[in-house]
Amino acid sequence: MKKNLLLSIFFLLLFAAGNFAMAQNRTVSGTVIAKDDGLPMPGVSVVAKGSKIGTQTSVQGKFSLSVPPSASILTFTFIGYQKLEVPIPANGIVNVTLIPDSRQLSEVVVTGSGIATSKARLGIAVESVSGKALTSSPQASIDQGLIGQVAGAQISSVDGTPGARTNIILRGINTVQGSTSPMILVDGIESRTTDLSQIDPAIVDHVEIVQGAAASTIYGAQGANGVIQIFTKKGRAGKNHIDISSSYSGSNYINQGDVHQAKLSSFAVDANGIFIDASGNPIVRNQDGRYLGIQWAHGADPSIGAPTAMSNPLNIAHQQYGTNLKYYDHLAQLFKTAYTSNNSAAFSGATDKSDYALTLSNNHQQSNIRNNGYNDRTNLTANIGAELFKGFTIRSVTQLIYTKNTLNPNYGIGNAGGIFDVLNASPFYDFNQKNSDGSYPLSLNSGTISVNGSNPNYYTQWANRVTNREDLLQSIMAEYKINKFVTLNAKYGLNYQHTEQNTIFKNQAATLTAIDLGSYYGAFASDPNGELDKSTNSTTFQNFNGSAVIKTDFEKDFHIHLPITTSTLLGYDYRKNVDKVFNSYGLELPVYAIYNFNQTATQAVSFDNTTPFITYGFIVNQKIDFGDYGGVAGGFRSDYSSAFGGGSKPFTFPNVNGYIRPSSFSFWRNSGLGNLIPEFKIRGGFGEAGTQPQPFDRYPTINPGNIGSSLTFNLPTSLANPNLNVEVSKEYEIGTDLSIKGASGNWFSEINIGATYWSRKASNVIYSINTAPSTGGSLIKTNAIGLSSHGFQASLNLGVLKGRDFNWNFTTNFSSQTTTITSTSGPPIILTTAAGSTQLALVAGQKIGQIYGNKALTSVNETNSKGVPYIQPADYGKYTIVDGRVVDIATKGIQFANEVSSFGDPNPKFNASFINNFNYKSLYFGFQFDWVYGSHLYNQTREWQYRDGISGDYDKAVDIGGTSGAYTAYYRSAYADIIGGRNGARNGTKDYFYESSSFLRLRNISLGYDFSKLLGNKVFKKAVLTFTGRNLLTVTKYKGFDPEISSGASNSPFDRGVDHDSTPNSKSYQIGLNLGF
Amino acid sequence: MKKYKHIITTVFVAGLAMTTACKKQLDVKNPNSPTLEQAKTESGLTSLAAGSIYINGFVNGDGWLGDSFFSLCYGFHELLADDVSAQAANQNVNLVNVPDYAILDDGTKVVNTQPQIANLRLNNTRDKQSQNMFYYEWQSMYGLNNACNQILALAGTVPLSGDAGTKLATYKAWAYWWKGYAYARLGSVYYSGIINNGISVTNPTYVNSAALIAESNKNLQQAASILSGITANDTYTALMGKLIPSFFQVGNGQVPSPAMFVRSINTLMARNLLVNTRTSVMTAANWQAVLALANTGIQASDNVFAGFTTTNNYIFSPGGGSVAANTSGDETASSFTISERLVQDIKPNDKRLAENFQQVTPFFNQVGGFTFSTRWKLYDAKIDVVPHNGAIQIADKTPGNQEVYIGPSYEENELMKAEALINTGQIELGLASIENVRNFQGAGLPKVTNTGLNLAQALEELRKERRLSLLFRGTAFYDARRWGVIYDISEGGGRTNAVVLSPNGVLSTHATINYNFLDYWDVPADEVVLNPPGAGSAPVKNPK
Repeated sequence: MKKNLLLSIFFLLLFAAGNFAMAQNRTVSGTVIAKDDGLPMPGVSVVAKGSKIGTQTSVQGKFSLSVPPSASILTFTFIGYQKLEVPIPANGIVNVTLIPDSRQLSEVVVTGSGIATSKARLGIAVESVSGKALTSSPQASIDQGLIGQVAGAQISSVDGTPGARTNIILRGINTVQGSTSPMILVDGIESRTTDLSQIDPAIVDHVEIVQGAAASTIYGAQGANGVIQIFTKKGRAGKNHIDISSSYSGSNYINQGDVHQAKLSSFAVDANGIFIDASGNPIVRNQDGRYLGIQWAHGADPSIGAPTAMSNPLNIAHQQYGTNLKYYDHLAQLFKTAYTSNNSAAFSGATDKSDYALTLSNNHQQSNIRNNGYNDRTNLTANIGAELFKGFTIRSVTQLIYTKNTLNPNYGIGNAGGIFDVLNASPFYDFNQKNSDGSYPLSLNSGTISVNGSNPNYYTQWANRVTNREDLLQSIMAEYKINKFVTLNAKYGLNYQHTEQNTIFKNQAATLTAIDLGSYYGAFASDPNGELDKSTNSTTFQNFNGSAVIKTDFEKDFHIHLPITTSTLLGYDYRKNVDKVFNSYGLELPVYAIYNFNQTATQAVSFDNTTPFITYGFIVNQKIDFGDYGGVAGGFRSDYSSAFGGGSKPFTFPNVNGYIRPSSFSFWRNSGLGNLIPEFKIRGGFGEAGTQPQPFDRYPTINPGNIGSSLTFNLPTSLANPNLNVEVSKEYEIGTDLSIKGASGNWFSEINIGATYWSRKASNVIYSINTAPSTGGSLIKTNAIGLSSHGFQASLNLGVLKGRDFNWNFTTNFSSQTTTITSTSGPPIILTTAAGSTQLALVAGQKIGQIYGNKALTSVNETNSKGVPYIQPADYGKYTIVDGRVVDIATKGIQFANEVSSFGDPNPKFNASFINNFNYKSLYFGFQFDWVYGSHLYNQTREWQYRDGISGDYDKAVDIGGTSGAYTAYYRSAYADIIGGRNGARNGTKDYFYESSSFLRLRNISLGYDFSKLLGNKVFKKAVLTFTGRNLLTVTKYKGFDPEISSGASNSPFDRGVDHDSTPNSKSYQIGLNLGF
Repeated sequence: MKKYKHIITTVFVAGLAMTTACKKQLDVKNPNSPTLEQAKTESGLTSLAAGSIYINGFVNGDGWLGDSFFSLCYGFHELLADDVSAQAANQNVNLVNVPDYAILDDGTKVVNTQPQIANLRLNNTRDKQSQNMFYYEWQSMYGLNNACNQILALAGTVPLSGDAGTKLATYKAWAYWWKGYAYARLGSVYYSGIINNGISVTNPTYVNSAALIAESNKNLQQAASILSGITANDTYTALMGKLIPSFFQVGNGQVPSPAMFVRSINTLMARNLLVNTRTSVMTAANWQAVLALANTGIQASDNVFAGFTTTNNYIFSPGGGSVAANTSGDETASSFTISERLVQDIKPNDKRLAENFQQVTPFFNQVGGFTFSTRWKLYDAKIDVVPHNGAIQIADKTPGNQEVYIGPSYEENELMKAEALINTGQIELGLASIENVRNFQGAGLPKVTNTGLNLAQALEELRKERRLSLLFRGTAFYDARRWGVIYDISEGGGRTNAVVLSPNGVLSTHATINYNFLDYWDVPADEVVLNPPGAGSAPVKNPK
């Protein structure tokens, strides 16, 4: 029946064509609208099939085309939409609706090749994510929204502090000195200083991600970490659009591992359970808010081999609190529910020759910590484009971002001190109790225990900090299409930021803490009289990018009967960056509440630094495509850099890639294979990209420094190296993109798969290595390290169910990658995490990022590296195995080897995400699970709580050789001992605290309903009410707050496996309303 | 239309050309830091000679446990001398001074489960980083030596104005003195070391500690000989006034005249001999040599190499840059606490006791070493009410008030004189020297001269006086070593009748302590691994 219908139409058309065969050209016109939002679509290509006659739709989505009588079918194509062929009806009016194409291969991408190219014709992997797919989060940031959305990328939400950035690794570790952060481009211009997390997600049309060196070669000597490019929304035709959205969310910190302080203790008490000191007197709170004199029930007793009270096996935790010392839940006293609001208003529109889009957004995110302020970000974006005359378009995208952050200096990203202070304050301290002077106590040191504890309220009472940051990201782009061959493109970008951070430490001289103990909170002051600290920094980054694209089509242009098209990119790219830092402070504040520099006693400059950097390069890239069958591309980029001074030679990075589409050959198309797998492409590429030394790494200097009021010089202990070379990362990748014809019914009608294997080697990687101290210094920068990485990434997209009203779409993204250190100059490079305390090592032959420390013996017959047994056979009977570790039955101590070794690779074996989207009429439902497998964290947070017996673990009884008890000595040994060093390896890095941090997380769950139709009102184009939950569910064995935490330096290549008192992520519930007019 | 094309193409090309033709602009100099070129002027050399000595020698790498050489490296010496103790594990300070055992009054033998020597060696690996006591003094003193080598390399090449000869002599004397100082400290505590006259390089030839001391004396004599030739005192004083931080130049920290400078050198050379020979084997000739040097050493009114705190841009901070700062104040929270053995060595009627020490609620150290609970705290004159009885104040965190002796002091010189005199049969003269020191520090003690003290009694006066008057001056460990206290009892070491407060509150007053500490330290692994000993090198590990 269907066939007959088609046939009849065909004949009808033939008839029509025949009728007009002798006639003149006729005019066909119509409007193109998009299925997904019902709006007119500008720029849709409309071509009369079989001819070269074509046009593009106007900003109102309208077209008008004069076609020859022979033309019978119009072809409509637009990026990201399914190609549509429509017969030309007799009346010449063709109104069509284009349907979005979920098949990724139809997408056109720019990033990585420099020329807009259909993914079907790329030899490299380029991922793209539409703005709509970004998940919403309290942070309202693009990086949070991208988590799980990109196959191959590891994006982790490593810190719950408002304003914190994610850690992003695209393909392996390629540099060690710097960060793993990819280059961020916005509409082709580098956003050097404005972070991805600051850009308004509401302005994102789509995001393209280039991960490998094969693609990032065109970004040259700074592209080794890959590129994330954001394309902003442009105004669209039709009436002016107004889109308003608001959301409000409440969030609570995640405590997946049930972190809490010990509810039991083993302190000395009298017959009535009153805690007593060594003289038998009850412990009382003194005027400084401290409980002094607390003793363990059983003290140090070297006669039984207990060098400290805590190693005395007689101390067993049991219920004690409730008498003169009570138990306070410090986490409840520290954390609170935080509220976040997001508001956004967008105005857009377009005429024939111009378009505009104006977006204003605000994100206000409170901290989960009491009295700790917020992070507030306001983005104003204007995207204005115009065609000044035929072929010449100009566009300006302006982003103004204002960020205000009022987080207390005691809390911040990573281990800022505050959470550590709280977790290590003994639980018998009530944070809410003030001293008689009206001040909270500062130190909660009880002499022997609670040594590192302090009252968090002291810091918020006496200090505050306000950070204001303004960002400007301005780009001006001009494109001139000279003729069908040549298009010229010029872009200029200015990325500027200015940050001013003002910290006030109030005058604390009148507090009992200052009077009695001489303690106070400050940064530069050597007395409690208070201070003002002002830190300012600015970055001015300019990027000019000029390119010419030359396109030819052998058939059309030269009438050579070869289906060859070529495109050539000639480019020049110039970047200049100037960073400036100027910090000052004023000492001694008045006791009245006026805080300015005029009213400080002395003022000084603490830091004044300017770092200019210039680099530029030339790009030549040539691409040749052979019809739909395949193609090759290749080229190179040469870079000059001021890090190498004037007169230096450029470094050149080549790339080559190619693809073949077997599915486009007739043998495939016409076989059963073509039926089963309608699209099959194999691609491969090779490329190099680099990382430059820091601007002055090659520039030996001496250090200026003030001694008193004199300016003096001293010699650097960390030496620059004039012989440094650029770091080079070489990569090849091979991949495939294919579509499988699904079931013929509604179920599984579409199956798309993309997969890439890559392998890369980084050489000449720069790092400071140790020098012998007798040289007078300790470090020198060298091209010390070689790295080797490989990985596999894949995505699978399923149209699970396609019905008239109901749609179910499923996507899974997968990434596995690993990096090995192939060489280091000299012995292992031993480091301490930026978060403090935990040791790391860079050792040739091992994975990068390993934690380095003492492992517990797992059997009594273990030997050290020289083959010497740790325990003599005669003594085997003195030991037992507890929880897989050798424990001395008498001392209750876990036996840790006294040699250090690496604990293994803390990085995940793979990460994957599972994304489900359901549509039923106006109802939307979706959820995303993220799975990170095989990752580990060093739980330094927990280890510190072992110091004074504050960890909740101390409450748990263990069975040691047949007797069970919550032995203080057992837990303390994990903190303090190694073989031969009882109490001599305190806070040593021990595998006891190296935990699996694999997790499965319900990243996002969202339910939306568009009730605009219910209103029956023409005012709203859409009215969507959304409920969103984020991080609501986590499955993990990790014993800390949050398995996703990393406290090391942000985006560090190697410092990612440590959890040290960072703010955990939060679980949040959000309600949102989105109105379109 | 065509017109536009041309205009736009021109603009494009011009833009390209403009930004390309700038290879010159790649020549970007570091606008923040000077290069060595800037030190090649008279003022630059002065800046370098001032800053590098103090920063490279006494600040860099010492930002642990306080913020200078005088808190960290001096701190280890004071710990090992049983002047202070610590309960925190930072830098291993809670364990480096735990004796092998103590026998308490009730006969209980308290045994260290990890003897000091084994513990120090367990921590002498690169991965132990901050826990390695051997590392700090080594890196500081080689930092100082390297700074001196750089100053010496520049001096003589830099054009100097005015009396260039005197200025050059001053720079050189300054550098040789500090080289001599660096080797004195290295040779007095390390089993072996390296003699290095290069800049930012080293060599693999390790020599024994005696050779390091010889190198020290060689440099000191070179400095002295240059100083002796200086006649233009004004030029010298003006330059020295720029080399020594201005806030150090108060009291006896003012610029020493060339003669005073030479006397500091002589005292340091006397120390080199005295502290590196076990007292029991000192010969009469040794004592005569010490006496000869001490007789030409520091006088009471001399300016010496000492330093003071200041509010900002300090070398050592008021609140944490010295052992005194880290010991004084709240004894339950300070890094160090006063040892019972120190206080027991102070005469009860010594005004310095009342002025500086207070008996408080006992502090029981439950997590650190077992002999180190204490009833004593050290006053911080900044926040504590002190008697102001005229005696010297040991600790004062008020900016500007804390003095730290970098080089030797009058008291040290006078007590070396006393010790040499007593040991060469001139007991009364020796006791007179001890009294000079007591008077100098306002001890207010009755005279000991002409009271008929015998040799042993006189030496006990000397011992007690050195314990207190040279407290926190970086020489206490040398004394404990040369007097034999730190050695195993079988080697004549240890001490008896010691006061020990046990963690259970029991006070022993006649305890026996067997310290058994390492006398000369092994070369740190950081050096040996990165600069393995070459052929003919001295052993880098003490055979003990």
